[in-house]
Amino acid sequence: MQAVNEQKNVARGIDIESMQRGPRVNLANETLCLEVKDFNLFYGEKQALHGINMRIPKNRVTAFIGPSGCGKSTLLRCFNRMNDLIDSVKMDGQLLLDKMEINSPSVNVADLRRQVGMVFQKPNPFPKSIYENVAYGLRLQGVNDRVTLDKVVEQSLKGAALWDEVKDRLHDSAMGLSGGQQQRLVIARAIAIEPEVLLLDEPASALDPLSTLKIEELIYELKEKYTIVIVTHNMQQAARVSDYTAFMYMGELIEFGATDELFTNPSKKQTEDYITGRYG
Amino acid sequence: MSQHSSIKTWFNSGKPWVWLNAGAVSISLVMVVGLLLLIAVRGLSHFWPADIMELSYQEPGQPAEVLIGEQVDHESVPAARLALSGVQLPEGQEFAQRTLLKVGNRDYFGLDFRWINDPWITDVRYPEDIMAIERREWGNFYGYLVNVKQEGEVVASGEGAYQEFVQRLARSNELMRQIKTLEKDDIGKINHGLEEIRLEKRRLQMDDVPEGTMPYQELEEQKQQLNDRYAKLREELGDLYQALNRDQIMVRMSDGREVEIPLAKIVQVYKPNGMGISEKLGQYFHHVWEFVSGEPREANTEGGIFPAIFGTVMMVMIMSVLVTPFGVIAAVYLKEYARQGPVVRLIRIAVNNLAGVPSIVYGVFGLGFFVYFIGGSIDEIFFQAKLPSPTFGSPGLLWASLTLAILTVPVVIVATEEGLSRIPRAIREGSLALGATKAETLWRTVLPMAAPAMMTGLILAVARAAGEVAPLMMVGVVKLAPALAVDNIAPYLHLDRQFMHLGFHIYDVGFQSPNVEAARPLVYATAFLLVLIIIVLNLAAIGIRNRLRETYKATES
Repeated sequence: MQAVNEQKNVARGIDIESMQRGPRVNLANETLCLEVKDFNLFYGEKQALHGINMRIPKNRVTAFIGPSGCGKSTLLRCFNRMNDLIDSVKMDGQLLLDKMEINSPSVNVADLRRQVGMVFQKPNPFPKSIYENVAYGLRLQGVNDRVTLDKVVEQSLKGAALWDEVKDRLHDSAMGLSGGQQQRLVIARAIAIEPEVLLLDEPASALDPLSTLKIEELIYELKEKYTIVIVTHNMQQAARVSDYTAFMYMGELIEFGATDELFTNPSKKQTEDYITGRYG
Repeated sequence: MSQHSSIKTWFNSGKPWVWLNAGAVSISLVMVVGLLLLIAVRGLSHFWPADIMELSYQEPGQPAEVLIGEQVDHESVPAARLALSGVQLPEGQEFAQRTLLKVGNRDYFGLDFRWINDPWITDVRYPEDIMAIERREWGNFYGYLVNVKQEGEVVASGEGAYQEFVQRLARSNELMRQIKTLEKDDIGKINHGLEEIRLEKRRLQMDDVPEGTMPYQELEEQKQQLNDRYAKLREELGDLYQALNRDQIMVRMSDGREVEIPLAKIVQVYKPNGMGISEKLGQYFHHVWEFVSGEPREANTEGGIFPAIFGTVMMVMIMSVLVTPFGVIAAVYLKEYARQGPVVRLIRIAVNNLAGVPSIVYGVFGLGFFVYFIGGSIDEIFFQAKLPSPTFGSPGLLWASLTLAILTVPVVIVATEEGLSRIPRAIREGSLALGATKAETLWRTVLPMAAPAMMTGLILAVARAAGEVAPLMMVGVVKLAPALAVDNIAPYLHLDRQFMHLGFHIYDVGFQSPNVEAARPLVYATAFLLVLIIIVLNLAAIGIRNRLRETYKATES
């Protein structure tokens, strides 16, 4: 416990701005998408996120890694205000999406969530047909035109690499799909409304290795069009799919860097310990 | 020691509990099946065209007599009880057999059921010529056909008489049907029109339109037209009645008297002793159909119970339509929108306890609030012209349905809340993450998924409502409703009308009937039908629920 506190103090003592902007992270050639500034989050009395500062570049895959309970999912859920659903949550600091304040009262939450899509840990298709699952977001926006819907459903399913598997049974229940197919359907559902950012909360943790591989390939393709933020427990996965990686520990951002460098040459002892499996 | 431990092993193996549970289940099953069998057998056997016996009967100290009738019951009674009714058995005999005979002919014998003691029966015969005649008044008639008359002149007797009688009966029943239609539909419409004109006049008076002006004259004209039409119909009706009263039959009763029965008074006739099994079955189903589809006669002890079936089903359906949206909306608010805290907890406890309030209390509430307050207000605002005779200000179908809706709403609320809390959080978040608002998520995803739970609530509500009688007596059920709630006079659905209900019908026939023996089988038959209807209503709801479950399977995962 003593050691942990010391480590914390060390982390706080360092100028985080310089840590991110240091030679290790060169975001000069990137367009910024999401920006987190001095962000704190409390569940009631308990502080879950401590002074996070982070910049997430556009059209890149950024992975959050860290041990369970380190706050990576909590941070992810802040980007589309999913934490609004929990009454006891309090936040301060800034969250910006393309310079727009996410937590501002003037932001329409529904619009925000259309820009920032999210895929959850467990596949959660609606008990409707495959077609209706993908069309759900569009129907919410009042699009009921058959031709448009057909087109978008096809594109989205193709985009999620599911089209060939389901094109003959679009109107069957989505509950009949396998876990991996369901997860890709959920991704198709999310990209059908063409968000800017796609938040993936451990998207492959409930899937078998083959399905996981498909999801990873998919992530690689999707970054052409979307900014992707992925939370994962699987460090190989983070190393495989992401361009940038953030390591979090006990509610703090310990290190943020280009994935190659962070995994091969971490600047922090904690990061090294974690990625080499010494704790966490 | 080892025995002790083997008992312990057996105990710990859980087998005793399995046996106990299985025992409890089988006892419940046996009770339910037994109950259903009892009412089914007692109720349904009533419609069987039983053989009619002719007995020679000799009571000691009385002249010998001949009795004709159907055996209804047979029992053995202790001598002591017989002694009380003045019958002395020979010394040493403790029990005697006796038979309950339905002798019919109430208008001539006074009583249509008679206990006879078996030892005094000297002879039993089943002559094929005995007829059972079902009459519109006075119950069944048993006897022999003597001849058939037309306006007092004998037209057939002996061999061919029965054939002639059956033919002429068909004609008179057809005439009867025409008369009914004329009286109910055509004349009913005219009466309705006349009433409308009266109300229109009253409205004019209330608006201070001076007498004798245009509107009054128009109304007078309309009234005149209606009266003319009425006079024409009256004439037509008179002709029909004359035709109806053309034929009579002479019949001989068991005591040898010959009496005349007009064909207009006869519903149907059959000779059970001469019937084969298939003919009897045909007659049986004819009786059952008459019971299910016909209207009651003779203070509800004869005829059918269609109005009661109709009233029950109508009431349950209107109640369902009222209770479902109300309960679901309340549950959605309580579960989804209200801030969970002591107030909501208090409301929830109150709702749960509402289900335990005695139903008669709801009846009192319905009468005071719905009928007198709301109904009275509606009358004052919309039906001023009809006052002082009430429209909605008196007990009726709408108020009964509403009262039952209030009675059953806790069940729907509880079941719906249960269903809502079973929807996985992931599904809600999935919908919200796609940019749906909370209301859209509820409407498009959560509520459809909770639909099976709502149906469960509705099933329980229907089961409770269909069996409820006590509150209904205060808010709309009557012994005999003059008209159904649906007919051919606009607005076709008359929610203000009083109605008949199977549950109340059972009570009425069982306890308020002047003719206990005749009423008893009908109590069973009606009870059986009520159970059957509740089963059908429930099966329908369960069918819908299962289809919904199939569609929204994710809830189970």
